[in-house]
Amino acid sequence: MKFDLTLALADRPGQLVRALEPIAKNGGNIVSIIHEREKPAEGYVPVSLVVDFPSKQNLRRTVNDLRSLGVSIIKSEEIVETTRVTLILIGKMDLKKLVETRIEDARIVGFEVSTPTSNEACVKLELEAPTESVNKALEELKRLSKEENALLISSI
Amino acid sequence: MKVLIIGFGFIGRDLARVFEEKLALIKQIDKDFRVIGVSNSRGYVYDKGGLDLWKLLKVGELSEYRKGYRSGGSSAELIEKSAADLVVEATPTNIKDGEPGLSFMRIALSRSIHVVTPNKGPLVVAFKELTALAEKNECELLYEGTVAGAVPLFSLVRECLRGDRLLRISGILNGTTNYILSKMYFEETSFELALKEAQERGITERDSSYDVDGIDAACKVVILANAIMKREARLEDVERTGIRGVTQEAVSLAKKSNYAIKLIGTIERELEVAPKLVPTNHPLCVHGTLNAVHLETDLAKEVTLVGYGAGKETVSAILNDVLTVLRKRRKA
Repeated sequence: MKFDLTLALADRPGQLVRALEPIAKNGGNIVSIIHEREKPAEGYVPVSLVVDFPSKQNLRRTVNDLRSLGVSIIKSEEIVETTRVTLILIGKMDLKKLVETRIEDARIVGFEVSTPTSNEACVKLELEAPTESVNKALEELKRLSKEENALLISSI
Repeated sequence: MKVLIIGFGFIGRDLARVFEEKLALIKQIDKDFRVIGVSNSRGYVYDKGGLDLWKLLKVGELSEYRKGYRSGGSSAELIEKSAADLVVEATPTNIKDGEPGLSFMRIALSRSIHVVTPNKGPLVVAFKELTALAEKNECELLYEGTVAGAVPLFSLVRECLRGDRLLRISGILNGTTNYILSKMYFEETSFELALKEAQERGITERDSSYDVDGIDAACKVVILANAIMKREARLEDVERTGIRGVTQEAVSLAKKSNYAIKLIGTIERELEVAPKLVPTNHPLCVHGTLNAVHLETDLAKEVTLVGYGAGKETVSAILNDVLTVLRKRRKA
C-alpha cells in the first residue's frame, strides 16, 4: 500500500536521516522523496515522501515513532490509484437522477450534454473511480442504464 | 487432389476463377489438382477427369455446362459418389440450424474428406462436433474465411502464436456496421441515411438486422471463442447490442473527445457485441468496410490485424486454406 507522507523537518543537518530511520524500522520502502527546500517556513522544510508499507498499521506505528522524535507530520494518507473512463449514454433518461446517483466509489468529473435534435438525450460522462473498483462501477452504471432504458456506450 | 465446390453463388464462382488464375501456383504443390464437381441447389456437374472452369464461369446455369450435368442431383450425392479429397463448402449461411452446409460437412468429414469453408452457420451451430469429426477421421477442417474475411487470423494464431496464451480478443467483425458508423462519423449523416446508403451499395445482408443488430458479429465472436479461446460457446451466450440506438449526436459527442463509436465484439471472460468508444489513436479505429482484430496474449502482448472482412476478398482466405491442405497432404 502506498502512502503520501509529508513531514516538516527542522532546517538543520542530519534531520532527514533521523526521520527516515522509523520508516525503515517499520517496514516502509521509500518510492520517492522530495526535499522542498524552496518552501522553507520558520526554519522548517517540507519533505514529501511516497512510502510503500505492508499495511496501514505499519504507517500508524511510523507516525507515532516520528512524533515521539518531535517530527511534525503535515500529511499521512493512502494514495488510491484511480482510473478515468469516458462513457456515452443515449436515451429518454432522467439526467438529474443519473448525476445524483452514487455509483460505487466513482465520481463524475466530466459531463457534457449534446444539443438534442430528437427526444433522446445524449450525455457524455467522465467517471473517476479507484482502479480496483472501476469494473464494479461500470457494471452498476450498466444496470442503471438498463433500468432507464438507455444505451450505454463504454470505452474499450 | 480432387476438389468439389459445393455452392456456386458469388463465392463459389469467384473461387473457380481464382483456381484458374492461380493454377500454376497450385500445381507447384499438387500437379494432380483438379476440380471434379460443382453443385448448387438445382443440380451438379461432375467429371472425374476435371471440369473446364473457364467454360463453367461463362455459363449462367450449371445445366448449360452440359457435360456431366445431373439435374436435381444433390450436393450430398455428389460428395458421396465423387471420391473427392477436398470439399469447399460455400453454400449460404444459416445460423439457425447450419443447414444445408452442416449436413454436407458431416458427410465429407465422416468420409475423411478435407473441408474448407467460409460458411459461418455450421461452425456457429456445431463447432465442437465438426472439429471432433475432422480429428476422428484424420482430415482437415479449415474456416479462415468465416471471420474477418481475408484477414489471416486463424492461420496466424495456428502458425505464429503457437506458444502464446490468448487472453482477450476484441475487434470490428462486421464491415457493414463499420461503414455505417464511419459515414456517421465523417459525413455527420443519421443512422437511417447511412444504412440506406449501405443498402444501395449492396453491402448489407438481405435482412439488415443481421448486420445492424450485431447478429453477424456475434456469430464471429462464437467462432473465435471456440476456435481460439477453446470455449464451448453458443450464440445465445453472447450479450448483444446493435447500433440502431447510436445517434448522430452521440457520434459527434464522441468525436469531440477523440473517440469513434464502433461495433466491437469482445471475447474475454464474457462474450459481448456492443457499440464502444474507441480512441481515434487505437489500432482498432479503422474506417469504411474494414475489419480489425486485436489479440492480447501473454507473450506477444498485443497484435492487431486489419483487412477486408467480406465480399470478394474472402476468396484469398479460402485459397490459402486449400493450399494449406495441399501442402500438409504433400508433407504427409
